Amino acid sequence: MLYLDLTVTGLMTGVFYALMAIGLTLIFGILRVVNFAHGEFYMVGAYTYTLLSTALGVPVWLTLPAAVLVGAALGWVTERTLMRPLYAGYSSWGLMKDEYAIIVTFGLSLLLINLVDKVIGPYPYRGPELIDTARVHLGPVIADGHRLMATGLGVAVIAGVFAFMRFTVAGKQVQAVAQNRLGASLAGIDPGRVSAAVFAASGGLAAFAGGLLAPIINASPDVGVFTAVKSYVVVVLGGMGSVAGAVVAGLFLGVAESFGAVFISYGYRDTFGLVILILVLMFRPQGLFGEKGRSV
Amino acid sequence: MTFLKVKGLEKRFGGRHAVDSVHFDVAAGELVGLIGPNGSGKTTLLNMLSGHLAPDGGTVTLEGREVTRLPVHRRARAGILRMFQLTRVFDRVSTLDNLLVAGRGLGLNARDALTRARALLDELSLSPVAALDAGRLSGGQRKLLEFGTCFMVPPRIALLDEPFAAVHPSMREIMGRFVRERHALGQTFLLVSHDMPVVREMCERSVCMNAGSILADGNTEDVLNDPAVIEAYLGGEAA
Amino acid sequence: MGNSERRLRAEFHGSLVILALVAALPLVLTSVYWQGVVIVSLYYALQAMGWNLVTGYTGQMNLAPAAFAMVGAYGVGLLSHHWGISPWLGVPVGVAAAAGIGLVLGRIVLPLQGAYVALTTLSFAEILRLVIGNSYSVTRGDLGLNVPTVFDGRLPYYYLMLAVVVLVQIALYALMRSRMGLFLQAVRDDEVAAASRGVSIVWWKTLAFVVSSAICGLAGTLYAPFAGLISPELGLILNTGLVVSMVVIGGMGTMIGPIVGALLVYTAGEMLREVGDYHLIVFALLVIVFARFFRGGIWGLLQLGADRLPGRRETGAREG
Ligand SMILES: Nc1ncnc2c1ncn2[C@@H]1O[C@H](COP(=O)(O)OP(=O)(O)O)[C@@H](O)[C@H]1O
Ligand SMILES: [Mg+2]
Repeated sequence: MLYLDLTVTGLMTGVFYALMAIGLTLIFGILRVVNFAHGEFYMVGAYTYTLLSTALGVPVWLTLPAAVLVGAALGWVTERTLMRPLYAGYSSWGLMKDEYAIIVTFGLSLLLINLVDKVIGPYPYRGPELIDTARVHLGPVIADGHRLMATGLGVAVIAGVFAFMRFTVAGKQVQAVAQNRLGASLAGIDPGRVSAAVFAASGGLAAFAGGLLAPIINASPDVGVFTAVKSYVVVVLGGMGSVAGAVVAGLFLGVAESFGAVFISYGYRDTFGLVILILVLMFRPQGLFGEKGRSV
Repeated sequence: MTFLKVKGLEKRFGGRHAVDSVHFDVAAGELVGLIGPNGSGKTTLLNMLSGHLAPDGGTVTLEGREVTRLPVHRRARAGILRMFQLTRVFDRVSTLDNLLVAGRGLGLNARDALTRARALLDELSLSPVAALDAGRLSGGQRKLLEFGTCFMVPPRIALLDEPFAAVHPSMREIMGRFVRERHALGQTFLLVSHDMPVVREMCERSVCMNAGSILADGNTEDVLNDPAVIEAYLGGEAA
Repeated sequence: MGNSERRLRAEFHGSLVILALVAALPLVLTSVYWQGVVIVSLYYALQAMGWNLVTGYTGQMNLAPAAFAMVGAYGVGLLSHHWGISPWLGVPVGVAAAAGIGLVLGRIVLPLQGAYVALTTLSFAEILRLVIGNSYSVTRGDLGLNVPTVFDGRLPYYYLMLAVVVLVQIALYALMRSRMGLFLQAVRDDEVAAASRGVSIVWWKTLAFVVSSAICGLAGTLYAPFAGLISPELGLILNTGLVVSMVVIGGMGTMIGPIVGALLVYTAGEMLREVGDYHLIVFALLVIVFARFFRGGIWGLLQLGADRLPGRRETGAREG
């Protein structure tokens, strides 16, 4: 039963890794940059959810969407103010594209962390649970009610993202821009709008994950830092830019960590993914699950 | 002795031969034109000569020494210097320092590099912009600068990929004169160009590629009048 | 003299003036607390100088400087904790450890570009921190290690740290004035073009990583006996963030930017703390504003100002 238990726990963690990584990988697909403030979108989501519920007494079924909206707004503003120059003639700044994107998102990450630290305070806030039920028996596996509910919502949203990408015109436009920015713009798609939309979606997804996990992680200013590191691992593992890869890699990392914590070392469990990331970049830069060779 | 010897060089991208079993020699002091329609494999061939692409087969020999497996920087020090079709300069250092990078990289000491760089700046009319970051130069000036970095140390052979394309006629004139003068002094060149009149005027000998293979090799006039060459240019996208 | 050399000289002289001011500061600054603040900002200055070498000059987005400082500090701390070895002997060991690990990291990221370098170095830094933080039997984990002091009072630390900053600055100046300075900048701007002109990418990139890591490690080895207690928190990403902010604000890819940035960000931060602790917000905003609108940082702004003065047209400012 241990194996089953570990697999289920791992998958449940993996769903959130996937949720975080999807946004990051979508951004990479569109703009070829890594958003180093991604963890702070997550942090903002956790705070929005928690503070609206506990301080203002808004019901959790409203604060969750509110968290998504706040995250999306943040993503949108970030794209419009900081990312736009990446495709609107950045050469005149004297910073290379990669350098610029890394420094500016790193700066944004510091800004958000310190802003929250100053305005709300450094102490952790525990978010309210979605449902009260403490224990749910799923056959042989026992799960916490909130966690189960959160995982279910996470899975639903991931499925929604897939359906969106596959069946809607907007989703196809996103894929078109990711594949060939110039071609897409010649075909009448506005890559700028797509970038903004993707950044908003990415922020919304991260904030959603933050809200769902708020009762478990306890919102604090730097809560997103390590979560973001995990999503980098997942994105690299899944192949930068691949949504399906991010989901598979997220679930894989969750399971790998839950097994590794038991069979290898509990203390070092957080290093497994990082070691995998480095090995992947050294030997298989297109990702474990990426099909096409991407030039690095 | 043949100076540069290219034997059976080939490169595939996917299943497609970009360069297919190419043989040719360049003698010391020759100025050879390399022509051919777009996509015929000229740049790919240059990339293999300069070490930017590893060939799938064949060898490159410079003055009797096989250089096929030598990394780019070692090949540059061996005297194979190239200019890229899409200009590459160091944007955030000055024009002068771009030349110094080449001088020092190719083994000159600081003083010689500076003397040489000043002389080249004058010769290429770049002195007024010597202190400007290369990223702020015009497209033509950048091209001229990259051209200059090939000559900080006299190369054994200079590989020039479309040096005259899309530059102001006055700069084309500067580079053209420079090439002719150096050639007169015995400098060896392989010159890729789309510009038929230029090739006709500058190169005694030309090699024409088509679809990865050599279509014709010989006296420029003969090559340009070769029916197969004319056919290739008309059949492909003539430039 | 090339323009790069000319720039370097102006920046170097500027940095010496600032360091001379720092040397004179204890004459008026007698508060032990404030002397401590300057010591810590010099600790950050060293890291910033190391980071600037590999990122500002060589263009490799290294997100591990704080982790290398942590490695240096633990070199000193572990030797002293387990074998009672003096911190003085720990310094070379800590520096060598940081340089060795820097060599490994440098080789790992050698074939990678841009964001991939950032991701790899970030992961590497986190691995170092997590390993030190979880190896309780060796490092005492999050409890940290006590390191014996080597001096009584603050001033000896103050001048030791300052002397090391000056020496490292002189060494960096010598390196950057040599062909290495040109080559690193060439590698930063275009690796392919640099190799095409005879520059060995493998050698110079690796060297930049090793030297940079050694300097960051050195910072940590000196900080350990001053602080008396070291913990894995030294290697937090947030501390790397501080280092990055300092260099971007001071002027990335300049000899003086890291020193100005570190002194300004840390010391001004402490001053502003008294009026309301908004300093980190201000600095994060400055990082974004400088990156977004003006790469040169504060030094670049000064240069731009100097260029606007009549008769100073030719020196070539570094405005972006
Ligand atoms: N890196 C590459 N990957 C795939 N195909 C390439 C690559 N470089 C060149 N090619 C292909 O090889 C052929 C020859 O290209 P190239 O050498 O650039 O031609 P030319 O310089 O004569 O115009 C073209 O069909 C081109 O599309
Ligand atoms: Mg070509």
